[in-house]
Amino acid sequence: MAEKKFNKKKESSPLSYHEEYRDKKTPQPQKTPSPEKERFTLISGYTPRIDGERIVTGKAPFTHDINLRGLLYGKILRSPHACAQIISMDLTKAKNLPGVKAVLQLKKEKVQYVGEQVAAVAAVNEFIAEKALKMIEVEYKTLPFVVTEEEAMKKDSPRVHENSNVQKFSDYSRGDVEKGYQEAHAVLEKTFKTEIEIHHPTETHGSVAKWEGDRLVVWDSTQAIHNVRNGLAKALNIPQSQVKVIKKYMGGGFGSKLGLNDYTMAAAKLAKITHNPVKIILSRKENSLTVGNRPSSIQTLKGGVKKDGTITSLSLINYTSGGIGRGDRCSEPMIDIYRCPHIKVNEYTVYTHTGPSRPTRAPGHVQGTFALESFLDELAAEIDMDPLELRKKNYTTKNEGGTGIPYSSKGLDQCYQIGAQKIGWHRRNKIPGQSNGRFRKGIGMGTQIWWGVGRPETLADVMLHPDGSVEAICGTQDLGTGTRTYMAVIPADTLGLKPQDITVKIGNTSYPWCGASGGSTTTPSVAPAIRDAAVKARDYLKKMAAEKLEIDSKNIGVADRKFFNQNNPNQSITFKELTEDLSREKVFHGEYVGRPSGYAYNTFGAHFAEVEVDTQTGKIKVIKVIAVHEIGRVMNKQTAESQVVGGITQGVSTALFEGRVMDPSIGTVLNPNLIDYKLATSYDSPEIEIHFVDIVDPRINNLGTKGLGEPPRIPIAAAISNAVYNAVGIHVKETPMTPDKVLQTLKEKEA
Amino acid sequence: MNEFKLAQPQSVGQATSFLSQKPKGCHIMAGGTDLLGEMKNGIIDAEVVVDLKSLPELSFIKREQNKVRVGALTPVSELAENSFIQNEYSVLYEAALSLATPQLRNVGTVGGNLCQRPRCWYYRDSQILCLKKGGHKCFAFNGRNKYHAILGGGPCFIVYPSDLAPALISLGAEVIIASSKKEKKIPLEEFYVLPKENLLQENILQPGEMLKEIQFPLKGSGEKSTYHKLKERGTWDFALVSAAVNAQITNQSFKEIRIILGGVAPIPWRAKKAESVIKGNRITQSLLQQAAQEELRDAVPLTDNAYKTKLVQSIMSQAALSLVKT
Ligand SMILES: Cc1cc2nc3c(=O)[nH]c(=O)nc-3n(C[C@H](O)[C@H](O)[C@H](O)COP(=O)(O)OP(=O)(O)OC[C@H]3O[C@@H](n4cnc5c(N)ncnc54)[C@H](O)[C@@H]3O)c2cc1C
Ligand code: SF4
Repeated sequence: MAEKKFNKKKESSPLSYHEEYRDKKTPQPQKTPSPEKERFTLISGYTPRIDGERIVTGKAPFTHDINLRGLLYGKILRSPHACAQIISMDLTKAKNLPGVKAVLQLKKEKVQYVGEQVAAVAAVNEFIAEKALKMIEVEYKTLPFVVTEEEAMKKDSPRVHENSNVQKFSDYSRGDVEKGYQEAHAVLEKTFKTEIEIHHPTETHGSVAKWEGDRLVVWDSTQAIHNVRNGLAKALNIPQSQVKVIKKYMGGGFGSKLGLNDYTMAAAKLAKITHNPVKIILSRKENSLTVGNRPSSIQTLKGGVKKDGTITSLSLINYTSGGIGRGDRCSEPMIDIYRCPHIKVNEYTVYTHTGPSRPTRAPGHVQGTFALESFLDELAAEIDMDPLELRKKNYTTKNEGGTGIPYSSKGLDQCYQIGAQKIGWHRRNKIPGQSNGRFRKGIGMGTQIWWGVGRPETLADVMLHPDGSVEAICGTQDLGTGTRTYMAVIPADTLGLKPQDITVKIGNTSYPWCGASGGSTTTPSVAPAIRDAAVKARDYLKKMAAEKLEIDSKNIGVADRKFFNQNNPNQSITFKELTEDLSREKVFHGEYVGRPSGYAYNTFGAHFAEVEVDTQTGKIKVIKVIAVHEIGRVMNKQTAESQVVGGITQGVSTALFEGRVMDPSIGTVLNPNLIDYKLATSYDSPEIEIHFVDIVDPRINNLGTKGLGEPPRIPIAAAISNAVYNAVGIHVKETPMTPDKVLQTLKEKEA
Repeated sequence: MNEFKLAQPQSVGQATSFLSQKPKGCHIMAGGTDLLGEMKNGIIDAEVVVDLKSLPELSFIKREQNKVRVGALTPVSELAENSFIQNEYSVLYEAALSLATPQLRNVGTVGGNLCQRPRCWYYRDSQILCLKKGGHKCFAFNGRNKYHAILGGGPCFIVYPSDLAPALISLGAEVIIASSKKEKKIPLEEFYVLPKENLLQENILQPGEMLKEIQFPLKGSGEKSTYHKLKERGTWDFALVSAAVNAQITNQSFKEIRIILGGVAPIPWRAKKAESVIKGNRITQSLLQQAAQEELRDAVPLTDNAYKTKLVQSIMSQAALSLVKT
């Protein structure tokens, strides 16, 4: 029963993602932090990843690498049917196979998609476990199913849940759109589509579960050790204090590893029965079917614009499908980013018999931005306006299209200016599609807005040892983004040390609490907490130094592993000499306390892309991308730039190649592998130039920093789409923009 | 993957005798880049795997008096790195280099490439029993078929995925087939069969037979060749459509020309109609267009793959014209 409850909660995950990570009411800090006054030496610089060498030399342990004495291998039997009733299940033969230690029925009633877990086996090796799966006898009664969004929307199509497949889930309106359309000189309506994407992190999902008496220890490839711990405790009905979750290194998650997974539960149950640790690692195919996807969207946008570029009205009708799970709310960029008095949004989720959706790097914003930003270029063309001018014309420093509260900081205008200059905006075709010949070049851009605020009550410790060594400790997790590195950089900078002087400890629920790594919240949560702890440690040491040097602690400076008299730098004491006077290790607790309300906290950016379209073969080549982001103070430029490169590569990939392919009659995914589900390769990567706007948010936290996880993923497909439009004079209007679709679009243009 | 026995023959004779003993569940493994995928995904259940890697003598590239000989076990990367091939047989060099990724080229062999199984996604799903696997229906026909055949299809609509096959056929290659009884030599072009003739396999190999060697004539004077491959992404991709062209050019016209298309048909597709339009005529863009149209007269696109006709037109003239320009 407990497990069921949990599953129900998971079903509504896209909304809870929104609730969990978006800016919300926070405890009010007692004093404003004034981070803009601080000066740093390491922060905002280029510190190489402190764990880079370990990772590239294969020494860093991933969940796949965990090996324990007596380890058993778990495998999961999955439904071959898109919708079926389980009539009976016979585990006897599988149980009797030598080497099999446990067989578990996981599903009793109905299966709702191909790949849903039905039973699990633990055996002494993978080979026997797989063999045992084939010996489990399940009798199904197959039922009618529907696996494509278009089919599911039809009235008489089989129902996925009790109610109709089409469900309203997000409405918004302000002003009166009809009035706005009347005031407009041009009104346009267009439909854009995005295909379902699969997260496909490099490291597939997996967990290892081990019981130590009544205590459960789980090694998990997860973005959220604390969520997994709490989920396990609840589902197994044991105290949270009896569950420990560890995550050392991981090869990405992109939202697909944000909570407790059903296979982790299976591993825990199998381990309980067998009294042995159990490891379950999912295959690439299982990753394609069952651990999440980015919902598709069919977005019809309507907009009105005056001759001078004033946007009068915008409306959106969106049908979005995330399988048996919810679709994505795609309207937020439209609601927020441009000055616009009249808006109307109706979003509907469309259920199908396919694997459940999960948040995928900027859920909703990626699809919404692709459609909105492409649409704006068409609006601009209607009134013969430079599309960048249209965006500037409707610029606002208050959220909700100028009708809300002020942004605490917003450097989007600078993003526009830098991006346009660096790409050579003047080089674009003044009229979309005006160039001739087989190969046509074009330049386009897209705007990004995202959340990226921290999570109040995040805790972190800095521990000083009498021998001068220092630990930075936080119960967060590094997805591969560089969390470990800035966790060394911040205390090092604060204490006048080097990053290599700091031992970073993360990825364990025994450490001070930190939330999931999602929603671009990690840096603005962890960085201020660790800074808070480091400042406390520094101030404590300053006092000690002041006594030793017999000066006022106000006059103490820190640098080069020394505490010194700022008025007489020759008078100093080394960090090591100071800590020697500590009789024992000393822990300083830090916390991110929150930010003042009354302001909107968002991240901003703009991508500018140059493409070449081969009009004979329909192939799009992205030549160059200029990415400009405003994320407050950058903690570490080196890893921040990597983050942007990753976002752009993924964006190019989904703009041009990626899409889940379903067979409507069999109900199965046809490309559950990395041959047919095509990810961009290094050959497909454009030249990338990255800039960060030099702004420090004055109140968000003690460092003035915002998040960067999602932002670089958001505007890239729109920038490419608009560059294609600029090249050939028509939008492809559907991702992925593969040659077949490009050729079809060009044909439509000719006709 | 099922349990299986691994046979490591010490000679070609031993290999073919293994093969003849247990023809049914017996599979040849060369590099294994394709075979192991089929086994792991449960598409085939092998009882015996005959591992040709124990026969290094089948890996060679030899230039003789009037022909070039390539052993079946030669890694694809060696074709791409061999300077003689690079200089004399652009079509083969370019095809080898266009194929998969460096890792796969290092492990995959020429023989394995010519004998690889189809990539149709219905075929590659172990839970789907389509015509090719002895079932009653081609799921691609009314299903998702953007990568399927526009020429020569029916009742199965696979495209033959090999990049080396079109290139080698354009060079007039022959293959030596060994069995426990005898060896035979046939043109590579005749090695492949349409589904109409044999649904279950793509070539004429009989149980107990294996591909031993590939041979092709030395390059003639005035002969030029090239391989063009259109893929969705920059690398690590099978051809949407490809064209191997080998021609003899005199006075701005093609005296002789062989065009073999990949990615369009269940076999490497010899574009004979296009060849006859082109042969002996002055090379112009419109001649090449006309040739492509002639070839495509027989094309029967499925629901999702009509765009391939446009790609054929583009690639054929692109490839042929590139020979004139260089
Ligand atoms: C990700 C990926 C991408 C690929 N991309 C391409 C591509 O772009 N272009 C392309 O052409 N191919 C591609 N391939 C297909 C193929 O794996 C390679 O082309 C490779 O050359 C096959 O050689 P192998 O030695 O590994 O074959 P194996 O896997 O060993 O064998 C392939 C098949 O041929 C049979 N066989 C092998 N040798 C012989 C022989 N001597 N006689 C008779 N039968 C034999 C085997 O029984 C098996 O059925 C790709 C494969 C993968 C996995
Ligand atoms: S094209 Fe051939 S292999 Fe593919 S489904 Fe049809 S019969 Fe099977």
